Amino acid sequence: MSDFNAKPHVCGGPVVPSFFGRRSFVQAGVLGGLGLTMGDYFRLRAGIVRSPNGAKLPEGKAKSVIQIYFPGGVAQQETWDPKPEAPIEFRGPLGVVKTKIPGVVFSENLSRTAAIADKISVVRSITGRIPDHAQATYHMFTGYLPSPAILHPCMGSVVSNQFGPKNNMPPFVGLPNVPAQAGTGYLSSKFGAFELGGDPAQRDFRVRDIAMAKSMTDDRFAARRSAREAVEDHFRVLEKSPAELDAMDDFYAQAYKLINSPEARKAFTLDGETDAMTKLYGEYKRPNGQPFSISRQLMLARRLVEAGVRFVTVMYSGTQGWDNHTGIRESMNQGLPAFDHAFAGLITDLEQRGLLDTTIVMVTSEFGRTPKINETAGRDHWARVYSQVLAGGGITRGNIYGVTSATAAEADQNPVTVEDYLATVYHQLGINCEDRLMAPGDRPIDIVRGGKHVESLIG
Amino acid sequence: MKRVSLALISFCSLAVAAAPPKTVRPVAEPPKPVSFRLDVMPVFFRAGCNSGGCHGAASGKDGFHLSLFGYDPAGDYYRLTQQMVGRRIDVSEPAQSLLLKKAVGSVPHSGGERFKPDSPYYKTLLRWIEAGAPDDSDSVPQVTGISLVPDKVVFGSLEEKKATSKPLQVVAKYSDGTTRVVNQLALYVTNNKGTADINENGVVTAGKSGDTFVFARFAKYTTGAEIIVLPKEKFKWPKVVENNYIDTIVDNKLKNLHITPSEVCGDEEFLRRATLDLTGLPPTPEEYAAFMADKSEDKRTKLVDTLLAKDEFADVWATKWAEILKITTDNGNQFGTDRKAAFAYYDWIREQMRKNVPVDKFVRAQLASTGSTFDEPASNLYTMLPQGQYDPKAVAQDIAQVFTGMRIQCAQCHNHPFDRWTQNDYYSFVSFFTGVKRKVGAESREMFVWDDPNAAPAKHLLDNRPMPARFLGGDAPDVTGKDPRVALAEWLTSKDNTMFRQNIANRVWGHFMGRGIVEPVDDVRISNPPSNRELLEELGKRLAGYDYDIKKLVRDICLSRTYQLSSAPNATNKDDDSQFSHAKLRRLRADVLLDAIDTATETKTNFGSYPAGLRAMQLYEGTKRSGNYFLKTFGISSRDSVNVSETRLEPTLSQALHLINGDTLEGKLRNSPVVADLLKENKKPDEIFDALYVRALGRKPSAEEEQKLKVLVAGKETDRKAYDDIFWALLNSTEFSFNH
Repeated sequence: MSDFNAKPHVCGGPVVPSFFGRRSFVQAGVLGGLGLTMGDYFRLRAGIVRSPNGAKLPEGKAKSVIQIYFPGGVAQQETWDPKPEAPIEFRGPLGVVKTKIPGVVFSENLSRTAAIADKISVVRSITGRIPDHAQATYHMFTGYLPSPAILHPCMGSVVSNQFGPKNNMPPFVGLPNVPAQAGTGYLSSKFGAFELGGDPAQRDFRVRDIAMAKSMTDDRFAARRSAREAVEDHFRVLEKSPAELDAMDDFYAQAYKLINSPEARKAFTLDGETDAMTKLYGEYKRPNGQPFSISRQLMLARRLVEAGVRFVTVMYSGTQGWDNHTGIRESMNQGLPAFDHAFAGLITDLEQRGLLDTTIVMVTSEFGRTPKINETAGRDHWARVYSQVLAGGGITRGNIYGVTSATAAEADQNPVTVEDYLATVYHQLGINCEDRLMAPGDRPIDIVRGGKHVESLIG
Repeated sequence: MKRVSLALISFCSLAVAAAPPKTVRPVAEPPKPVSFRLDVMPVFFRAGCNSGGCHGAASGKDGFHLSLFGYDPAGDYYRLTQQMVGRRIDVSEPAQSLLLKKAVGSVPHSGGERFKPDSPYYKTLLRWIEAGAPDDSDSVPQVTGISLVPDKVVFGSLEEKKATSKPLQVVAKYSDGTTRVVNQLALYVTNNKGTADINENGVVTAGKSGDTFVFARFAKYTTGAEIIVLPKEKFKWPKVVENNYIDTIVDNKLKNLHITPSEVCGDEEFLRRATLDLTGLPPTPEEYAAFMADKSEDKRTKLVDTLLAKDEFADVWATKWAEILKITTDNGNQFGTDRKAAFAYYDWIREQMRKNVPVDKFVRAQLASTGSTFDEPASNLYTMLPQGQYDPKAVAQDIAQVFTGMRIQCAQCHNHPFDRWTQNDYYSFVSFFTGVKRKVGAESREMFVWDDPNAAPAKHLLDNRPMPARFLGGDAPDVTGKDPRVALAEWLTSKDNTMFRQNIANRVWGHFMGRGIVEPVDDVRISNPPSNRELLEELGKRLAGYDYDIKKLVRDICLSRTYQLSSAPNATNKDDDSQFSHAKLRRLRADVLLDAIDTATETKTNFGSYPAGLRAMQLYEGTKRSGNYFLKTFGISSRDSVNVSETRLEPTLSQALHLINGDTLEGKLRNSPVVADLLKENKKPDEIFDALYVRALGRKPSAEEEQKLKVLVAGKETDRKAYDDIFWALLNSTEFSFNH
């Protein structure tokens, strides 16, 4: 019998709106269809099966991850992979800036990052599969294409599951949230992101509800907890501890720890950050006068990582998101400088604190954009090749990996799949993504299927 | 059954249950010429060449494009033979054709080796090219359907004895009346590999005990077979009461699966469960006292009837409809989604629910609506679903999903790979909505909706041909000069329309059981089969028989023993989550949870600019306008899409923190008159415990709990704070936030 390594099905289907609400994910799962999993059923591969609640892994070189996410599919041409030699309709409206690496240029809005390009790696040859927001976002966060049969956990949830909390800090934090596609999948919802909401650029920013009210005393709080224990004990005996209740229990335990740890709570504020720090991360205002949140978000992300959070997802939408079907120039010119300053500041700050070697910083988006500028001065969806950034945590420095064709349309050299990209991050954290986690129904599922870490990205 | 092995191109005659085939082609017939559509196209399908990750992608792959899963054979023939003449297909030197060399990986191919040169797939392609790569016209027989034989296997049963595997046959039916076994050309998947795996020949292998489905796909069709693997342990069905037909059907399935249902729940549990499910509120202390004091046999029946008659029952369903009909507002736009219009729509829906208007009538009024969104509020269907510019495709998709649970959107671009819907079905359905016109009224917040009967139908994506309106999987009505939506509304809501009646019944069932028979309730497709088909069919039939009176169906459900089962599992049903053998623990929806806190504490929540006194369940546009942190954090529906999963129920750290520390609960404890009143009446600690427990949990504390609480209030027996702390604990408990 011949061997069919049938590749997953994708739907090149309708364009999903460019905003990301807490959109249901089942829909994308259906669009994804089920033919994707022939490999699943025909293949048996050796691999360690890890209990989803089992012993904690030893850490790898990287201890934590800051993932910056550009929802909408940011253009590779206007960021990390400009094509200044291409005809104007491909090149686009923006110029370039020389980087610290000889012969390498970034798009003109990334001048501060260009100056620290020797500390980061850019993968210009990421190859995705689906130019559809919901499905590609799921792919980027979980390493899998959506399936109607099972939901996969996102990277932050896997990290939370494999390493657990440190220093009373929740292992996985969303700033201000994570996309609906970044769920816990088949893992318990207790491995979900702690979404801070709120905007740290606002003067009165406080993470809600992590501190006891001033009027509450320790004695009373203890009494409340004891009373709650009494009720819980009664219910748990009756209900024989089904899984539904475990996550709830776990969140109460986490909450109590957080509330009782002043150090942990302090990490959720920007108290004590100096003017020098503010300068390092930059301060930019939107056209409407409101501050961009990215600099404060990245500063907060650094504090969280320093305090023991293992995975921070930071969402950054600029002024209008990155699904720039129209007016790409305006979107880039408005939104990128604040990111550029904050990102370069974060890398520098982590380096100065000696944290860069143990912290991976990822800059990700669900796909790139079409080689040619369209009729409305924008670019449309393009999953075939796009750029992502990796820095720190033992990743190479000053490495521009992969080469795209003259119009950034195809990967000419060293293509890196989304699976490979995630596998590289997992590898640095000490997670072998060929290991499998046990999903309900005793179904062992690869952490990432078919991904191999990229040796050339590891320094 | 004999294991099937067949030459690729041989046709088999088969005794298939349906109408006998007109012509029967014997197996031993001499080889026929290879047909492009019947033989070559299926190879691309089976080998994955035309899957979406490969050449089936919208723009093809590496310069070569095939239609996704072969929905466009003519186009595929053109691209293979004409697009680069002599390259992909070389009829002078067939074996040198790039098509073959790529497929076996003898030249670099991103897709690697798809099959081997000695495989039947290779031979089929080679023979076709050797014959000159002929096209065959559209007159070759079309596949009209496929079936899996048998369509149900019970491993461990008497019939199957000790068998651990069984071959299934995939039988394709053609438009000329012939049938053909296509096992070697079909693709297979299983919904649960642990219970039943299926290999590339269609052979099913039994795994651990359970109930699942395997599927075969061929041409544009998908079909499933139910596979049950019985546990090896001895099984004895207990003696249980059957309250009505629901129990009969559920019990039959459980017997089959060797699952013993849980015990019937106690009165306290039943009161809380039914009151929360039927009215979205917990029982009050008075309701608790009355129900517990009632010693009559039929007190559960009486309770259900009382609750069904309440306005709060209507409020729950008004809000559930408002969520999937996307009632949200954005003031000051030109699209009719103004607050005034939204309120008119919500109010109209609530009115229909309060009057218990039959659901078919309720749906018809909206589908065929015309007029002002203020005066004929049902017409807001055509402003709220689009939430902006009117797009007939998006509206057609939403309407299909809301009223049949089917998601047809895949078929916009290609035939639905895992369901029955083709592009023809899709665009013909869209044509019901291409005539809808909208215009802003004299008052700018008002919109007029009407149909232009002369509007052109939708055009097919592939060839732009007009696609006259046709019912999903049904006929094309004559709508010349008429509003086609009227015919659609009649067809959709007819008593015979199983898609409609079963989906509505399933949505009702899902509300009360925490899980649909098809789950999720709005993802009905062949590859997502019902966990109990007979039950779904019967509930649909009953609903139609009740003239679409929802309350009658709800009554059946709530009075069934199945609904009244305890949530405590036993050894045989602890892993069951689809056969309704025990009650499912369900976290309360955000609005129900907040209303339950308000009811227990006798406080009111202020929802911003909403009128005072409304409950969370009565917010006509959800939380959007109130900006209520509690509702948002506990996952109230964003109403961004028609998906029921916009309502989120999973716990988060933010929820725990908000209940522990947040201002919502703290404020309510501060303002609640409950403890103060009890103290004023000089109630003793145990009386106060009882009162607080009944309010929060609908039960009295156990002796052990009372013991522990007494220790906590010792020396503070008249201190309100001590009791507030206990109230806090009750409202923070898992038992409170779950319906069980």
